[in-house]
Amino acid sequence: MKERRKQEWFEFARAVGTILAALLLGFIITLFVSKEPIAAYRAFLLGPLTRINRLGNWIEESITLTLVGLAICLVFRARQFSLAAEGQLYLGALVSGLVGLYFQLPALLHVSLAVIAAALVGFLWGLIPGLLKAYLDANEIVSTLMLNAIAIRIYNLILTYRLKPPEAGYTVSRYFYPTALLPRIVPETRITTAIFWAIAAVFIVYFLMYRTPFGYALRMTGANIRFAYYGGINTKRVIYLTMAISGIFAALAGAHLSMGIHQRVILNVSMGLGFEGIVVSLLARNNPLLIPVTALFYGYLRAGADIMERSSDVTRELVMVIQAVIILLVTAEGFLAFLQRQMRIRRGAELAEGKEAGDVI
Amino acid sequence: MSSLIEMRQISKLYPNGVLANDRVDFSVERGEIHALVGENGAGKTTLMKILYGMEAPTEGEIWLRGQRVHIRSPIDAIRQGIGMVHQNFMLIPSFTVAQNIVLGREPLDRGLVNYTEALRITEQLSKEYGLKVEADATIDSIPVGMRQRVEILKALHWGAEILILDEPTAVLTPQETRELFTAIRKLTERGKTVIFITHKLREVKEISDRVTVMRNGRVMGTLKTAEASETQIARMMVGREVFMVVDKPTVQRGEVVLQVRDLTHIAETGHVRLRNVSFNVYAGEILGVAGVEGNGQTELVEVLAGLRPATFGTAMVDGQSLLNHTPRKVRELGVSHIPEDRLTYGVALDANVAENTVVDRYYRPPFTRNGFLSVGFIMEFGNGLIRQFSIMAPDASVPVRALSGGNMQKVVVAREFSSQPRLLIAAQPTRGIDVGATEFVHQQLIQKRSEGCAILLVSADLNEVMSLSDRIVVMYNGAIVGVFPDAQKVTEEELGAYMLGLKKQDPTEMEAYL
Repeated sequence: MKERRKQEWFEFARAVGTILAALLLGFIITLFVSKEPIAAYRAFLLGPLTRINRLGNWIEESITLTLVGLAICLVFRARQFSLAAEGQLYLGALVSGLVGLYFQLPALLHVSLAVIAAALVGFLWGLIPGLLKAYLDANEIVSTLMLNAIAIRIYNLILTYRLKPPEAGYTVSRYFYPTALLPRIVPETRITTAIFWAIAAVFIVYFLMYRTPFGYALRMTGANIRFAYYGGINTKRVIYLTMAISGIFAALAGAHLSMGIHQRVILNVSMGLGFEGIVVSLLARNNPLLIPVTALFYGYLRAGADIMERSSDVTRELVMVIQAVIILLVTAEGFLAFLQRQMRIRRGAELAEGKEAGDVI
Repeated sequence: MSSLIEMRQISKLYPNGVLANDRVDFSVERGEIHALVGENGAGKTTLMKILYGMEAPTEGEIWLRGQRVHIRSPIDAIRQGIGMVHQNFMLIPSFTVAQNIVLGREPLDRGLVNYTEALRITEQLSKEYGLKVEADATIDSIPVGMRQRVEILKALHWGAEILILDEPTAVLTPQETRELFTAIRKLTERGKTVIFITHKLREVKEISDRVTVMRNGRVMGTLKTAEASETQIARMMVGREVFMVVDKPTVQRGEVVLQVRDLTHIAETGHVRLRNVSFNVYAGEILGVAGVEGNGQTELVEVLAGLRPATFGTAMVDGQSLLNHTPRKVRELGVSHIPEDRLTYGVALDANVAENTVVDRYYRPPFTRNGFLSVGFIMEFGNGLIRQFSIMAPDASVPVRALSGGNMQKVVVAREFSSQPRLLIAAQPTRGIDVGATEFVHQQLIQKRSEGCAILLVSADLNEVMSLSDRIVVMYNGAIVGVFPDAQKVTEEELGAYMLGLKKQDPTEMEAYL
């Protein structure tokens, strides 16, 4: 028990260390590229807290990141690798938008219908690569990338030729009916009730993973698929259902973007947010309860970068460097595993000192 | 006079914190056959890898022929006249025997390999040491026993004076073992020195001059074999009394539980792996399947357990068909399965002990209630099994990865035995686990038999098959070639003859006993 507590502390310290190292490196880079590095880095580090709308941007982004992070986390825990979140996010944004534009319903019902429609399309868009993987052994990286391309083209096609009013100068749709908009709950921000979805989603995913038989099957499939199969788990079903359920959360992120943030369907609604879910999930070590934490952290980095870009002479590329450094450090587990091993060796030596020639079994 | 090899105060600490060798002193005299015994994980192989330059010792010195040496790689070792035959052979399958033997020391003729000369060298070595090989056959076409002889000849060709054999008999039939022992004696007659790693005590008694016993990374002592008894060596290995003989109560065999008829399996590659296999297993009996590995036993087990399809034939458990169902359906029919490769099928290393014990039943009450996993109950269940099966783990929430091989196997055994099976398929149930855990698994098998369970035991360890089984069948090349209705009355030699395909019973004659 004590051993595990120690382990958890080490994990935590490891995460903090990673972040600090990355931030330090970011500052060193800023020193080289900026004439006023202190001010620029201050804007980056503290910017999101300075104004209510900036704070809002951070939280909004974190909601999206939480939802896509959960989507990725599910797939990763079953040891599959899906890049489908991006396409699912686009389709979720599109379908909820269609409901928002073409239906007229009482408020609660309208939002619910839009959300359910988005969830359904996300589910189906995840089911396709899932079935392809489970029954035809189609590589899910390739199939999900291709499906992303298709989803984004469908989105653009419908937006440009169906949703965009003829008189509009930009490629955007009308605003949705007010009944289809998510209520904003903090004045001067675009923080909506979607924040409750995100919180609920965290617990739903946690519950699904750890408290349901399906979650058990999912985790065993991820831990050792041959063991799961030998034990009687229908691993094919686990694979396609996991990818489909994952799609629900990615599509919800899309619905949040169109119904909560933009209130209409816009071009390039995501720009790779679906892929950021991978970073969020990896940072959280695929633990659903940690995903909101890492989403807030990563969202903060992105928001700070935005502000630094606008208020100083440092470009957005800097934050990309910092992000890359973080991902590198997080994925370079070898380094930290090495540290851990050193600790264990020391303990092993101590153990050997006082070792008795005791029983073996 | 100093010893040929002297390893002094050797310690080896692995990066993962395992102290594999702890101040080990080990010496070997010229011309002797020195057995190195100990349970799995006792540090035998590590010590020999250090001697052969594959591992660097953390501390300690190696003295050879009275001089301190530093062996940094196998190349150094070979230069010093040390050769090692590993458990997994290091041969090139598509090359011929002669090519493998001369590899790296090829006889040249104007810059090209002189193959005729290679054949001659091989024949000469083969004759000199009495190790029969077919010089011109490719490795993948010759049996395991011959591959081993090729490995030995290769080491001799490289000028080995000291030969380390790492568990050489694990893959051999009794006949092949006897031939190997004859060859080893011939080697020592010619002044070679042999270090023989094993955990089979009978072999120690039969072949060695002296024996060094290791336990827990330490040397427990070195004895003259002639003066030591098997029980004495076993006690040194395990650290307590070991019951070498399985005490088996007589049980009335009951009704037929498993009925297999004409079972045939053709692999995706087109190879026929099972040929019209037919047999019954009765309640309260252990049917042993003997055979050299790779003669269809794995396929038989996996087809019955639902992991592979049958091409044709039938198999029924209590009258219900078993074939071509999912593993879950097979388990629901009352079949348990201890897989031969526990790391592949038996456990999920990163899942905890409790999770590992419910993979076959997690979806049923009381493990799942009203659609939700009873996490507390599962943990309790795991803890219960830990107590009941004496699994060395602090509690059921530790990952299986943290356990030793023997305890991992106990987790598998605990799961498969606790599901109240009608039929238990045990494939290599004690492979790679230590004497203590083996004893435990054997007792549990006997216990299940007394409870009226039908047990199909597949093992490459002839001793295990002979001491546990009530009846024995021998598989060769995918078919049953012999049946022995009374396991007590058959000798190893006889089984060996069937295992090698030298003898075969008439199918109609066998029918009555299957």
